[in-house]
Amino acid sequence: MSAHARSASWFGVLLALAAAVSIAALIFGAKPMTISQALNALLSPRGGTDAIIVWTLRMPRSIAAYLAGAALAVAGYLLQSITRNPLAAPDLTGVTAGSVTFIVASFVFFPTVSSALYPVIGMTGGLAAALLTLWAVRGGQAPPLHLALGGITVALFLNAITTYVLVRGGPQSPSLLFWLSGGFQGRSWSQVAYMLPWTILGIGLALLCHRAISLLSLGDDAAAGMGANPGLWKLLLLMAAICLVAGVTPVSGPVAFVGLAAPHLVRLLRPESARWSILLNIALGGCLLLAADALARSVAAPREIPVSIFTALIGGPLFIYLTQRGAGAGTGGRNR
Amino acid sequence: MRTAPVSPVLSTVFLAVLFPVLLLVAILLGVADLPVADVLDVLLGRGSDNAQLIIGTIRIPRILTGILAGIHFAVAGALLQTVMRNPLADPTVMGISQGATLAVTVFLFFAVYGVSADANTLYALPVAWLPLAGAAGGLAAGAAIYGLSVSRGLNPLRMTLCGIAIGAFLHALAMGLIAGWGSARFEIVLQWLSGSLYARGWEHVLFLLPFTAAGLMALPFLHRSLGLLRFEADVSRSFGLNYSRQFTLALVIACVLAASAVGVVGPLIFVGLIVPHLAKVLAGRHFRAVLPLTALIGATLVTGADLAGRLLGGAEEIPIGVVTAFGGAPFLLFLLRRYR
Repeated sequence: MSAHARSASWFGVLLALAAAVSIAALIFGAKPMTISQALNALLSPRGGTDAIIVWTLRMPRSIAAYLAGAALAVAGYLLQSITRNPLAAPDLTGVTAGSVTFIVASFVFFPTVSSALYPVIGMTGGLAAALLTLWAVRGGQAPPLHLALGGITVALFLNAITTYVLVRGGPQSPSLLFWLSGGFQGRSWSQVAYMLPWTILGIGLALLCHRAISLLSLGDDAAAGMGANPGLWKLLLLMAAICLVAGVTPVSGPVAFVGLAAPHLVRLLRPESARWSILLNIALGGCLLLAADALARSVAAPREIPVSIFTALIGGPLFIYLTQRGAGAGTGGRNR
Repeated sequence: MRTAPVSPVLSTVFLAVLFPVLLLVAILLGVADLPVADVLDVLLGRGSDNAQLIIGTIRIPRILTGILAGIHFAVAGALLQTVMRNPLADPTVMGISQGATLAVTVFLFFAVYGVSADANTLYALPVAWLPLAGAAGGLAAGAAIYGLSVSRGLNPLRMTLCGIAIGAFLHALAMGLIAGWGSARFEIVLQWLSGSLYARGWEHVLFLLPFTAAGLMALPFLHRSLGLLRFEADVSRSFGLNYSRQFTLALVIACVLAASAVGVVGPLIFVGLIVPHLAKVLAGRHFRAVLPLTALIGATLVTGADLAGRLLGGAEEIPIGVVTAFGGAPFLLFLLRRYR
């Protein structure tokens, strides 16, 4: 089987898996249904309680989770490609913390600001945090450990500010906490519509730049030798990654470890090119978060378990394994 | 690090003056305005009941807790930086604080939802047990990091990375728990998380004191081996050092100091990171002076930061963890940029 066909078949398998999980996600939940009930409700949008549950609660929520997972996975892949560093991820470079801090601060201190602006505010915060981290580690030229250290430092700093704002926030804090828990409880079609343009913009940008990603994976010098301007491309790809994180964060809150885990799992599938890497990241990341969200709301139904606990349970051990394996070499990762 | 432009003797004298002055100011100033004469009366054993209450049961134990916690974090940071051969090691970077956070969160969760089903037990939280839970969690995290690394021969770099990974993992779990059940009762976790000396009393001083005494008394015995642990394992073995035993010992002491302090005051971010560097700059070539100076600067820094947080925030004081984060993060980023 050629590399191309292998990537395509993995893509198909992952999409089928996501379809299966989303059907399962329609069935399980606080009110269990049978498959035929769920399919009936799916086919008749105006028929009874089941249809309301499926169409206004479970389906938009699943779609939001899928979009968010896809966006975070691609963002992680882009960050890992830009820095040529296997430990780069939205949460480990401070990008998520930056978005969160800016959004929380504007929510508490400037309550009149419309929530439609939150992606822009989040982008500003994420960009500021990313630039701070990259400045501290000299643009990712330093060994992987340094990027992780710098990102953790920036994230700790920003988390301290967020915690303080929450302590000062008074009556607004509980609703912020609900959002900060990261998850898709009660997210509906309006939230899907809200994050869709940002997700499409970021993923589209990444797909358009897939040649540049391949070039950058050879190293800055090689990329420059092929006639590309590495600095410019990196900035563009960084913007795409931050656009994805900042578009998703106002809806889902911070979701841990998807951006780190998905690109590494995709790498195990040995995608044929940067373009297939992005596509597989979309499929796998979406599937991962969809499954995590389905678990989060059905394991202890009717109570919800925060989705971050499940993503951390998947991503955390992987992260520990990566650091255990990669510490000796101290080199950047392969970028496929 | 660059060598110090200041003379170590002068700076030590400066510190020796600054610390008592800060202490006095911290006792004198506070949200409740007490005249200086009243405070001095209390210190001399006289004074009104009201003043005695404020000074004796609120300000003094709070300041003492801060001093002990400062010593704990600073010395733990110095030990970690030495044995990890990494100038950026710190209880929070290494994941010990996150272990304590998760333990406190889980403990509160079970205390609130597991034991009592009564929704009105808002004030019946077992706050007195928090330090113990935190310390246990920090120690468990340290043990996990050690356990994961020991099979591969105690490589300091791998251990640091492992600490970061475990820290991030535990942090995500704790945040999920806190936010997922974000009822009003979890405000206490939030406040603890931002690192605060608010309402710390004599029981906290008594909780910390045995750990401080044990940790500091062990230090002179470690002194020679600490000098050697700064080298590669092979080099220090060639000097006759039992590398793995001394490494483990230093790590255990650092862990115990950090975990007990985190349990009491929450994660004071970056104190353990900055102070050893300041101490090294001040000590210059006097290597023996580094650890005592570390303890002294740690105590001074936490007292000063707490005073600043109390005075700047007014009635709603700024948690000391926020003050240290504001001061410490830029410092660390500069350090990271310089260090190759």
